[in-house]
Amino acid sequence: MVVGAGGVAVGADQQAAAGGRGVSRREAARALLGTGAALALAPVVAASRPLPTGHGPGGGSFDETYRGRRIQGAQVPIAGRRKAEGDWEVTVDGHPLHLMRRADGTWLSMVDHYGSYPTALEATRAAVDQIGPGQQLRDLAPGPVVGEMAGHHRGGRHGVRA
Amino acid sequence: MAYVRKDVSTLTRTERRRFVNALLELKRRGEYDEFVRLHIDHYTADGETGLRSAHMAPSFLPWHRRFLLDLERALRRVDSSVTVPYWDWTRNRRKTSVPWTADVLGGNGRRSDRQVMTGPFAYTAGHWTIRVGVTDGKFLTRDLGRAANPIALPTGSQLQWALDDPVYDARPWDSTAATGFRNKLEGWGPGSGSASWRNHNRVHRWVGGAMLGGASVNDPVFWLHHAFLDMQWHRWQLAHRNHRYLPAGPPPAGDRQHGRIIARYQRLPPWDVTPDQLDDVSEIYRYA
Repeated sequence: MVVGAGGVAVGADQQAAAGGRGVSRREAARALLGTGAALALAPVVAASRPLPTGHGPGGGSFDETYRGRRIQGAQVPIAGRRKAEGDWEVTVDGHPLHLMRRADGTWLSMVDHYGSYPTALEATRAAVDQIGPGQQLRDLAPGPVVGEMAGHHRGGRHGVRA
Repeated sequence: MAYVRKDVSTLTRTERRRFVNALLELKRRGEYDEFVRLHIDHYTADGETGLRSAHMAPSFLPWHRRFLLDLERALRRVDSSVTVPYWDWTRNRRKTSVPWTADVLGGNGRRSDRQVMTGPFAYTAGHWTIRVGVTDGKFLTRDLGRAANPIALPTGSQLQWALDDPVYDARPWDSTAATGFRNKLEGWGPGSGSASWRNHNRVHRWVGGAMLGGASVNDPVFWLHHAFLDMQWHRWQLAHRNHRYLPAGPPPAGDRQHGRIIARYQRLPPWDVTPDQLDDVSEIYRYA
């Protein structure tokens, strides 16, 4: 019979294993994100303002107001990769929006997960289209945590990314 | 003795009530939100580094099969008569069809903020607060058919197009695979826009709201949708008896997919189970 340990139990075990002293790695990552990532992003964005809209994949950064929300994005290099392959760090009204890249070079976000867009800016705008009035993004793992933590904890957060 | 997963449109009034109540009980205990988290944690896109177990990969089907089994096991601990029903979106296509009735999943979101206002999963009913969501919104949202720019559910012929492919999956084993049953069913088409959204992906988009995002499990229709997809895997197996899960072995060192996908006899995280072991579940459940 293949029905062994329940997914809930497995998930809980992994969080417990990751947590150490009662603080899960996700929580630790969130705390880290709240300081490090936001601070790291700020100078890049400030230096590149003002920007025209509609930057392509190689655009490097964007900063605009879309449907009443401020969207900011900057491409951050990953060690060992060319800049064009860097991750995007994006915020909507200051709250991180996790973007993921598809193998074909297009982008999807935590908000809009079952389709993709040619550029990070388009993926960000599409996410804004879906955020309800008066709502803000929640700092939901995996979020930018994956990029932030990857160098230090590769494979560690879920215990599955060997 | 195998139990039966039924078409949601055929459930009796009592079966509907017991299914809904078991879900509400898991939610009350906090177990449900762990399923939401698990799904979020295992979404790795194929343009990123790392192992992909749940999406954009051959193990899309066994991963969700096991995920459903875990939910179903939890439901059956609450009420041993309950099984996960499936939503046949090739037949029940209207925004007011089952499962969008007040005695199952409730209806569409309202226009202003997409908040679901009817049925047991409406925030206002008091039993379904979103705690693990993409935004800080506490209520379940839907936008059936995408009101601002309407799209249609995938058709029966599009589903058949996937079922007709005799090969389970094909290189490069990701969202760009042009052939193979798995990606035709998962639904990553070339390009962008409506024409590129197929089968599984297209249904997530048609429901909209919570179902569009990483926390899609917050809408219980997630399970009804994936039960139907799981049934398609079974149908595909019956139609192509000489074909099995691919790849049979892991991609070699140097292959772009080395270490990033799960072959037939490899462990499928987060569980201690292989796609091979999930190939035949006829002793656990069957579809009616």
